[in-house]
Amino acid sequence: MHPPASAPKSIDILLQRARNLAGLTLGELADMAGVQTPDNLQRHKGWSGQLLETWLGAEAGSKPQQDFPELGVELKTLPINECGAPLETTYVCYAHLTNIAGIDWLSSNVRNKLRCVCWLPILASRHIPPVDRQVGNAFIWQPDESQDRALRQDWEEIMERIALGKIESITARHGEVLQLRPKAADGSALTDAIGEQGQRIRTRPRGFYLKKPFTQQILNQAFNDV
Amino acid sequence: MPIQILPARLANQIAAGEVVERPASVIKELIENSLDAGASRIDIEVDKGGHKRILIRDDGCGIPEAELKLALSRHATSKISSLDDLERILSLGFRGEALASISAVARLTISSKPAAQAQGWQARAEGRDMDVSMAPVAHPDGTSVEVLDLFFNTPARRKFLRTEKTEFTHIDEVVRRIALSRFDVAFSLRHNGKMLRQYPRATHAQAQAKRVGLVCGNNIMTSMLNVQSEMESLHLTGWLCTDAQPTNDTQYFYVNGRMMRDKLINHAIRQAFEDWLPTDTHPAFVLYLKLDASEVDVNVHPAKHEVRFHQSRLVHDFIYQALRDMLVQVGTQEGAGHPQVTPATANEPRHNYIQPLQPRITEQPRSYATARSAERRPSAVAVNAYQHLLSQEQHNTAPEIPCMLVQQRYLLSEWQERCWLVAVHKLQRHKLLTKLQSDIQQPLLMPVSLGVDKTMQLQYQTLAESLQTLGLDLQLVRDKLILRQVPAGLRHLNWSAILPQLLICEESELSHTLVNAAAPPHQDYDRAQAYALWHWFVGLEEWQQQLRQMGQALPQNWLENYAN
Repeated sequence: MHPPASAPKSIDILLQRARNLAGLTLGELADMAGVQTPDNLQRHKGWSGQLLETWLGAEAGSKPQQDFPELGVELKTLPINECGAPLETTYVCYAHLTNIAGIDWLSSNVRNKLRCVCWLPILASRHIPPVDRQVGNAFIWQPDESQDRALRQDWEEIMERIALGKIESITARHGEVLQLRPKAADGSALTDAIGEQGQRIRTRPRGFYLKKPFTQQILNQAFNDV
Repeated sequence: MPIQILPARLANQIAAGEVVERPASVIKELIENSLDAGASRIDIEVDKGGHKRILIRDDGCGIPEAELKLALSRHATSKISSLDDLERILSLGFRGEALASISAVARLTISSKPAAQAQGWQARAEGRDMDVSMAPVAHPDGTSVEVLDLFFNTPARRKFLRTEKTEFTHIDEVVRRIALSRFDVAFSLRHNGKMLRQYPRATHAQAQAKRVGLVCGNNIMTSMLNVQSEMESLHLTGWLCTDAQPTNDTQYFYVNGRMMRDKLINHAIRQAFEDWLPTDTHPAFVLYLKLDASEVDVNVHPAKHEVRFHQSRLVHDFIYQALRDMLVQVGTQEGAGHPQVTPATANEPRHNYIQPLQPRITEQPRSYATARSAERRPSAVAVNAYQHLLSQEQHNTAPEIPCMLVQQRYLLSEWQERCWLVAVHKLQRHKLLTKLQSDIQQPLLMPVSLGVDKTMQLQYQTLAESLQTLGLDLQLVRDKLILRQVPAGLRHLNWSAILPQLLICEESELSHTLVNAAAPPHQDYDRAQAYALWHWFVGLEEWQQQLRQMGQALPQNWLENYAN
């Protein structure tokens, strides 16, 4: 097996490629791709994502572009434990805190990112070293009506708070399925936001994340028997 | 102290605490009543800052004699009649509190004559129970309300009254605010007999601008810009002064004709002027927001300076954007002289990937996750077969054959006047065999991977084709055998235990090994599982033959012999 030379031409091909990785470990995939496996992922954030992108034919490297724009598909690796439960929240996108006037759900980044997702589960319990983490069966997901509604409600509530200058009052507990959390790896990074009086303030950059019960629901939908 | 009903006057005095704070608030309530009565001219007379006397006279529709008495009771109003009306408030007042509250804390006299009524009448409420006394009076068409000795009976309130001058300043401000909201009504304001303000009716744009000049000062008016912006049902009009002001006095914002000092609105305006005005200076504006009455909730506070918008972010962003656009426009026209308004992108990191995607997907949302999840594309026949299988399970028109679960492993049933005993695991095996023939595969969330040595690999090679026929998607990668997909409906089985067993059995035994491994004879079932299997079973066409094969009929005379 070798990593593909080009980007997938269709969603079917993408899914086919992803399914061919199922059952293999990151170590094996790295080995076959001629890539070194780090002992510790803490210092190599995004390594597994990059490796899998290589195997799916996405534009790998340092670019933040991590999906398949020409297919309109977003790739999301989903770390799960032995019981098939998500281990962490799923990053969706950066949350813009200024220049957001008039943006509605239909034109939002969150919705665009989640319109069509290729989920790639990885067995990644903490005790399993990166080499031995096994890739699961990928699947394509598009939010159904009720999921779209739930996402939209949370997004609107969070955006209202951001727009009205209440960014600092938003905690990870807001939102049923979607949450807003500080994003940067470096806690001292700051960005502009709208203050309580409408003035400009500095705050930590934020990102939108899917909560675990929601990704669990997506998994159940895809893998539970009728 | 025993629990008792409060006397009417005391109850009204309590309510008055919310509405009647000072003379200016009395005047506000009374002018609003006049406006709601359709007045085209309102004259206000004030003595001693309103402490002593307030008189409001209008040429509105008047109050008929019969209703005059009611007008002084609390919760009496002509402005709304049902909760539905509250959803779409167009009038200024609506709570039905103003007159009753004021008359509880002052000597209030109301005189009125509707045009159709020959004689004017006067009413006043007095005493502990606020009894209303009526008398005829000479009065032109319209209503006048006179309020004497405000807070004469509530000394605590009276202490909060400021000097005549201060109170008059408040009154003056109230009249300004209202004058800016109703250009079609003439207003005059006298203090201690001296005419201080006169705002004639302003029916055209020029006259309106003149009134704004009268209210805000003509020096501000010279640098005022016209605002006009709309989006869907939202309309924003008015005047905006882009020069910095030392105070925030000249800030008038109306929502559907009602003056507001609302946090959300201030936030939007402040945000629009960010980077435009030096800190500690303020913009001046007279702005009118019109939107559908059902989109706002004004029933927030009796003084009604705050509103609740149903789509607050939409309204906020609309105001912000309308003003911001205007400022940017002015900035580019005038070039230097104003600080440049630049979009506040500042030091935000670049995030190319956040660009909106252009999905090419045209299928219905669920199509991928369900129909296409099988990698080996099932034939139409197979799909039909599977759906048939599903529909059989879901819409089972099976006859109701009663049964009973015994020792968690056996089902006892009565059919054709005989008792039958069948092992549950046999039913399950039968069901699994049916599923194996359905030709649909489903992916495992986590595939099973099995390390295989050379002999095992050879063994796998001989079985590979049969295993695939069985519905197992297996692949040999390096020295591992990976099971990725399994026959539909069997995902829940413990495949990591079953797979090794399959690899060591004869080709002809595969399916039986599989079902036997999946449903071992020593397995216990709960009632729900067992009955579901039974229900499925008796829905099969050939279940009777099957029962004869799998089950055991108890001897004909068994019950007789043992029960007696």
